Amino acid sequence: MSDYEKLSDEEVVEDVRSKDQELYSVIVERYQNKLLRYAGNLIKDEDRASDVVQDSFIKAFINLNGFDTKKKFSSWIYRIVHNETINIAKKYQKELPILDDFDFQSDESIEDNFKQKETAAKVKKCLQEIPLLYSEPLTLFYIDEKSYKEIGDILRIPMGTVATRISRAKILMKKICQKN
Amino acid sequence: MSKELKNITKVVMDRIHHDKIKMHSKAYFVVGSFLAFIGLVASMITSVFLVGLIRFSLRTHGPMGEYRLDQMISSFPWWMVASAILGLVIGIWLLRRYDFSYKINFKVIVVGFVVAIIVAGWIIDMTGLNDILFRQGPGQGIMRQYFQENNIQPGQGRGEWKNNLKYK
Repeated sequence: MSDYEKLSDEEVVEDVRSKDQELYSVIVERYQNKLLRYAGNLIKDEDRASDVVQDSFIKAFINLNGFDTKKKFSSWIYRIVHNETINIAKKYQKELPILDDFDFQSDESIEDNFKQKETAAKVKKCLQEIPLLYSEPLTLFYIDEKSYKEIGDILRIPMGTVATRISRAKILMKKICQKN
Repeated sequence: MSKELKNITKVVMDRIHHDKIKMHSKAYFVVGSFLAFIGLVASMITSVFLVGLIRFSLRTHGPMGEYRLDQMISSFPWWMVASAILGLVIGIWLLRRYDFSYKINFKVIVVGFVVAIIVAGWIIDMTGLNDILFRQGPGQGIMRQYFQENNIQPGQGRGEWKNNLKYK
């Protein structure tokens, strides 16, 4: 299975479809943490985020033959998680607890790391106060490091709208963070 | 983050094995896409012909004459309008499901879709294609019933406005 580490997502998916379904674990392994963080940022509940990600992986597996390998698998799986998360968020609309252990990775010194964590915590707090409409593209851009095109593919909005929402999100963040 | 949360791979693979979850076949997606496409085309064609029928109905009753207005309203085939709207709604709904739709402003797609149907309906009506199809094609039964119910002679109304303008 280690040979598959070098392959792209799309190549692994092709092999899952045509050769060995067990290779799906390679895909799940690659995306589980990213998607957990993404879903967690959206619904702010670890257990539900975990359920959403599991269900999304199952849904993706069932519909794997419908995925076009010429497109990015990453955008496709994020889109599924986005849809599942929105469904769950609509179901449980009440306020949910703030997450405190979705980490930002860093190779810098302890002091810098501490400062970064402190900043990250502040950013997360501010992020939770802005509407999902703006927080989601901002999260995808800065935390998940997606391009405008990928964000457009995930959220089904044009790239211009992505840029506008990120720009507005930054203004909102600034206002909210300064207030806090 | 707990260990259980981190180890989603095992949970997912166990669920796939235990519940014997299977992938949908490629044929499933091919048939699905084909049916969606057929539905889209069918709803567009239906809407185009219904727009043609509405234009035809307006022409035979005279849309401006006040004394004819009540008659037009009472005998106007409102089911056609309802069907045209339904066709449009289904068509737009199908369009939204396609990947390309989000890359263009959705308002542009909707306006373009409606304009395309009205223009196509108008062209088909002007060229007389709908008359040919209704007299010889699959719609001849509906058309005959419509003529009988409304006491209309076939061909009545075509070019009426042009003739009125010519003799003024």
